[in-house]
Amino acid sequence: MKTSAASAKRIRTGAGARKSLGVRFVDAVKRDWQLYILLLPAMFFVFLFCYLPLYGIQIAFRDYKAVLGITGSEWVGLKNFTDFFSAYYFQRLITNTFLLNLYNLLWSFPIPIIMAILLNQFTRPRVKKITQTVIYIPHFISTVVMAGMLYLFLSPTNGIINTLITALGGESIYFMVEPEWFRTLFITTDIWQHAGWNTILYIATLTGIDPGLYEAATIDGATKLQKIRHIEIPHLIPIAVMMLILNCGSLLASNTDKALLMQTSGNMATSDIIGVYVYQMGLGKAQFSYTTAIGLMTNVINFVMIIAVNWIAKRLNDTSLF
Amino acid sequence: MEKAHAQKKKIQKPMGDRIFDTINAVIWVIILAVILYPLWLILIASVSDPDAVIAGEVLFWPKDFSLMGYEAVFDNDELIRSYLNAIIYTVFGTLLSVVVTMMAAYSLSRKFSGKKFVNFYFVFTMFFNGGLIPQFLMVRDLGLMDTVLLMIIINCVSVWNLMVARTYISMNIPNDLYEAAAIDGASHFTYFLRVVLPLSGMIIAVLCVYYGVARWNDYFTALVYIRDRAKLPLQTILREILATLTATNSDSFFSAYADDIKGMTEAVRKAEVAKYCCIVISTGPAVILYIFMQKYFVKGVMIGSLKG
Repeated sequence: MKTSAASAKRIRTGAGARKSLGVRFVDAVKRDWQLYILLLPAMFFVFLFCYLPLYGIQIAFRDYKAVLGITGSEWVGLKNFTDFFSAYYFQRLITNTFLLNLYNLLWSFPIPIIMAILLNQFTRPRVKKITQTVIYIPHFISTVVMAGMLYLFLSPTNGIINTLITALGGESIYFMVEPEWFRTLFITTDIWQHAGWNTILYIATLTGIDPGLYEAATIDGATKLQKIRHIEIPHLIPIAVMMLILNCGSLLASNTDKALLMQTSGNMATSDIIGVYVYQMGLGKAQFSYTTAIGLMTNVINFVMIIAVNWIAKRLNDTSLF
Repeated sequence: MEKAHAQKKKIQKPMGDRIFDTINAVIWVIILAVILYPLWLILIASVSDPDAVIAGEVLFWPKDFSLMGYEAVFDNDELIRSYLNAIIYTVFGTLLSVVVTMMAAYSLSRKFSGKKFVNFYFVFTMFFNGGLIPQFLMVRDLGLMDTVLLMIIINCVSVWNLMVARTYISMNIPNDLYEAAAIDGASHFTYFLRVVLPLSGMIIAVLCVYYGVARWNDYFTALVYIRDRAKLPLQTILREILATLTATNSDSFFSAYADDIKGMTEAVRKAEVAKYCCIVISTGPAVILYIFMQKYFVKGVMIGSLKG
């Protein structure tokens, strides 16, 4: 009803021509103002915590001094960036961040797919349901508690793992201070926490498969393994490829809060990643400009990579995030 | 004839399938054990005697049942205060998030001019942000450091959750319903309140759990923005107790209230078990909430994942 009134008005005022931006704006506000009001709070909070900070990014190109404020501080060009490139730990930070993400992706990616396929073979729905409930539980455990469990279970004096190792005649290992254990522990706990949860997407895809395919395969005498290979895997491939590509977009992103919890003075050689470094130098040592520059650099790299992988995914799959 | 033949095949499982099912069952028993055993271990250690826990004798069943760890936890004023803080931040933060998200999600499920821009406005923040330090400076300059308000409103809208809610509304609430209501003279406000909200119980439950668990489990925000220890939430305090190599940190935490040497050694002894108790009281609510809500979950999450 309202739309027809609006179009009638358009004919009157515009006389066939496009209406001016101002008039269209007024029309839109008249028609949709309630929708705009409903949007406002969300847009306000996003503005406050996502867009307002963008203004502060300029200190990456300045020498920020608290007394001078953001706009009062002196411009220094790319100095903060070149400082980072020539920093003593530059190479270590980049390598650690990249390798942690890469290994994590390689291990964490296939496991939910395998779990989803195996889960889909359950013949009793009740058992399947209970199993699903259980494998999602660790997802709800906090990072602090996860790290705390590591410290407790891996304690060299009374942790259960070392108790077992020594009982079997081995030498107890000080897991949390050995650099070579950091990535393994980080990735293992990630899998323990989230692999079950990440099956959801694949289970959803498997549930969408036409039951007729299974019936036809059964009549043809196909075994479960054959059905997995010829029905389920082909159905999962497109979505799996999508996930893999999209995950590649965040290879330089940092899981700061978890790494910060697992970092000890002993394992710095592998646990020192960009996000933790930014936190420690920025908030610990108040090097605001320097760390903003590092943050900006990784953000831009991540952004470009996500756009790139999204473009690739679009080409391959006709689906995209945007 | 043919039908009967097919039915016979269906009933009789091929040999390969029986082997497969057995192997599959074994794999799942192992997976479930790997997931559940650490949780079980924490639970039984939390109600065992500290000496037995330290000696590594608590493996499958509580030993020398005692609740002294929980006593130590509940005697600790700082822990209790942080627990209450976490409840306040979680309850009010989640409430605000869910209301704001549902309002915006409804709008985004309808047609209006400028929708493309609004969509971009939200989605852009998923891919690009100022980073930790600019956000910190902004919060500081606005005078929001160290305030309860900040802990409630920060990162109030998750764009991901917003998109999940929008998809749910546009998929599950038929457009005809709106047309009918509009003819009856309903505005967007009344339609949202009287029709959309009552029909969105499931997605509201999912949002509550998503936002609620994220807030309850977050330690990092308070680490950055809260200096006043009296305002720290549970997880940030837990970090000091749990995620530390040296025992002295957590020991001093629990012995701070002891009056004499004997009391202090006792507190240090208790501290070992108290750590497990902390895990139980902090994780328990999230896990229980999940188990109660989980029937809504899978569907809600699937909507989100299919969108992505």
